[in-house]
Amino acid sequence: MKGLFGGLPADFLWQVLGGIAVNLHIAVLALIGGFVLGIPLALAQVRPGVLARAAGALVALMRASPTFVVMFFLLNVIPPEMSLLSMRITISGVTIVALSLLPYSAYYIAESGLDALHQLRRNSPATALLFLPNVGRAFFVLVMASGAAAAIGVREAIGIIVRQADRTPTRLGQFALFALGIVLFGIIFQAGFALLTVVRRWLAGAALRRSAAAGGPGLTPPER
Amino acid sequence: MRGKQSPRRLLLLGLLAGLLVLVQSTLALAAATTPDETLAALLSQARTEAGHGCKGDRADRLVRVMCAHTLRIGVRTDYPQFALRNGDTWDGYEIDLARAVAAKLGVTAELVPVSPANRISALAEGQVDVVIATMGYTTGRAPLVQFINPDYYESETVLIADRAMPIGGWHDISGQSICVTVGNNSSWELAEHGARLMLYTSPQQLLSGLAHDECQIVAQDSSFFARSLSDPDFARRYALKFGFAPVPWGMAVARTGASELQQALSLTLQIFHRDGVLIGMARAHQIATQFLEKQQAAWRGVCATEAGRNDAACDLPPATSDLQPTRFAPQVAAVEAWLSNRLGISVALPMLQTEHAWLLFRAGIVNSLLLVAGTIAATLLVALGIGALASTSSRVLRWPARMLVIVLQSSPPIMTLIVAAALLRGFAEFTPVTVMIAAIAALGLINGANAGQAIAETVAAIRLDAGPAGEPQLFFRGVCLSAKQIEAFLINAAKGTPVASFIGAPELLNQLTDIGSFASSRASIYWVMLAFYILIVAVVVRLSASLRGFLQRRAGLA
Repeated sequence: MKGLFGGLPADFLWQVLGGIAVNLHIAVLALIGGFVLGIPLALAQVRPGVLARAAGALVALMRASPTFVVMFFLLNVIPPEMSLLSMRITISGVTIVALSLLPYSAYYIAESGLDALHQLRRNSPATALLFLPNVGRAFFVLVMASGAAAAIGVREAIGIIVRQADRTPTRLGQFALFALGIVLFGIIFQAGFALLTVVRRWLAGAALRRSAAAGGPGLTPPER
Repeated sequence: MRGKQSPRRLLLLGLLAGLLVLVQSTLALAAATTPDETLAALLSQARTEAGHGCKGDRADRLVRVMCAHTLRIGVRTDYPQFALRNGDTWDGYEIDLARAVAAKLGVTAELVPVSPANRISALAEGQVDVVIATMGYTTGRAPLVQFINPDYYESETVLIADRAMPIGGWHDISGQSICVTVGNNSSWELAEHGARLMLYTSPQQLLSGLAHDECQIVAQDSSFFARSLSDPDFARRYALKFGFAPVPWGMAVARTGASELQQALSLTLQIFHRDGVLIGMARAHQIATQFLEKQQAAWRGVCATEAGRNDAACDLPPATSDLQPTRFAPQVAAVEAWLSNRLGISVALPMLQTEHAWLLFRAGIVNSLLLVAGTIAATLLVALGIGALASTSSRVLRWPARMLVIVLQSSPPIMTLIVAAALLRGFAEFTPVTVMIAAIAALGLINGANAGQAIAETVAAIRLDAGPAGEPQLFFRGVCLSAKQIEAFLINAAKGTPVASFIGAPELLNQLTDIGSFASSRASIYWVMLAFYILIVAVVVRLSASLRGFLQRRAGLA
């Protein structure tokens, strides 16, 4: 084993699990930000008008913003320290990544939220509740996308695995480490997707039972 | 009367005596054969001139130094092991050198703090007589000041990394992430060898990056790492892998009015090199001595002879620091100035100012467009392939396709790209072309697998509705009904292409980061990058919507 991995640290698994916690933390921050920004944007689009068009344009802009590019943009344009109300704020790598995921998160919450609002107006509350599994799906996409943090040196799971792989002398050992990462993330993602499927089916069944006329918003995959 | 002489006669006698001393000094200077003799004669002549008047502005700087009995030396205050000031205490190799030079000239050393930003202007404005302040002798600076030959130190850009990392030379850095500081002229060499650069603002941040595992490899001036490498804890964990782009360090005086001072300093340095004085100082401060040892050998040997004075070892050329400007650089500068003066917007467009940056910028745009087009094509192909396999009634074909989808859905996209890069390294040559192909394949698999799964699920649903007999053109109808999902994953694919820069694909993000590493400003670079990618994705969104409309019309949904 030592020959394969080239002296894996004893606490390596804990390091990776700690890194996954960082990935989850980033995703939670991005999702909270997405709600703060996305819900007002969804509400602004309910009634047609200038405000709806402006909100729609902003949502379209956020939809077209690649997370990875936004991350490097923020990293190089935002000063590492800022003052707000005489408080000194340090912008950490985690904050940068969470902010870079914000356009996707806010766009997705705005679109799903608008769908849900339309369903509510059609008196289909159960269908509107499909918003919740959609948000859950977006959360897992955010966890996946938070791996981009490895590119700016944040100590999240993928970064930890890649650094250990660089120190691993054999190609086989490197692939074993990558496989470990995929398995660990896979357990989280597959369990999460399975749970979402159950919730979605239950909500869809409930919606059908309540109103035969109401159609679900569909399972449009979230863009990253 | 005998005892009294007229003032006129006294003046004449004085002038004659002065002339005699001058002639004697000049003759001594001409007759001198060793640097020691030449320096002694030069200093004697300067002292004589100083003795005859210190009020004139036209005297050489050396004479003025003799008049003031003080040599004002511009030194840094914040460079560990070279020049560090702690209250009234000064320490470092350059501090020792400054004091030794003043002592050799027979005057007092006055240390004047300077920084990289003001050291040249301090010379030009006469605030200091000489600068000994970590200043590299480069083609860019050579016309601005008079550098003193020989150089007193040489540094190079070195790569520092974890001891366990197998890095032996340029061939090992392709595709690796290397942390560098912004504005480092040598970074473009790293980029040219396929390294992926991560930019930091100060060298101290590089040390912090290493300590916190943010950086696996850092590149910086060897002088900066001198202290760290002499620290046993640091040296146990990290090692110097290799160095490149050597830059000689030179003392400098003002370009005009200091030719005798320049000569005196040059002779002093020749003597210091020959006698090993500089090596002793370097050892005392635990900095590298290889360059100094070579210089000692040269000034004891070939440079000490009349015939050897023209030898390359006795007058090292400046390091090349100039990047060739583009033919439209003046217009770019004019636009930048106009924006600044008229609109108050500070914009720097380094990607348009030098040929090297322009080349990288153009290549980045072309590569990004190819990457987006290739990824979209790969996504469509994989989607159709996996959709077809996962919809087939044969379990032998269906299950591998489903397993592949599960694996790809379990792997964060950046991990899939890393695995693709590792496979590439293991089985093929890592070149810009192969890494682009690997990135296209990985991004196509990531997005195509999800789109393929959507197609398969739709086909299964149609089959369920139509019964066991199915319906004609089942797969095509499944593709058409999955149009919205396919559209979403095509947009995902386009948005994901910049991630390919992480494994070294030479697309625009990577190229602009490289440009930022040797440019003075980077904010504008990243605005350009953001605008470019949003535009590209917006175009893909429009094209994908057209494709969806077409498929939905064929399925009779629109």
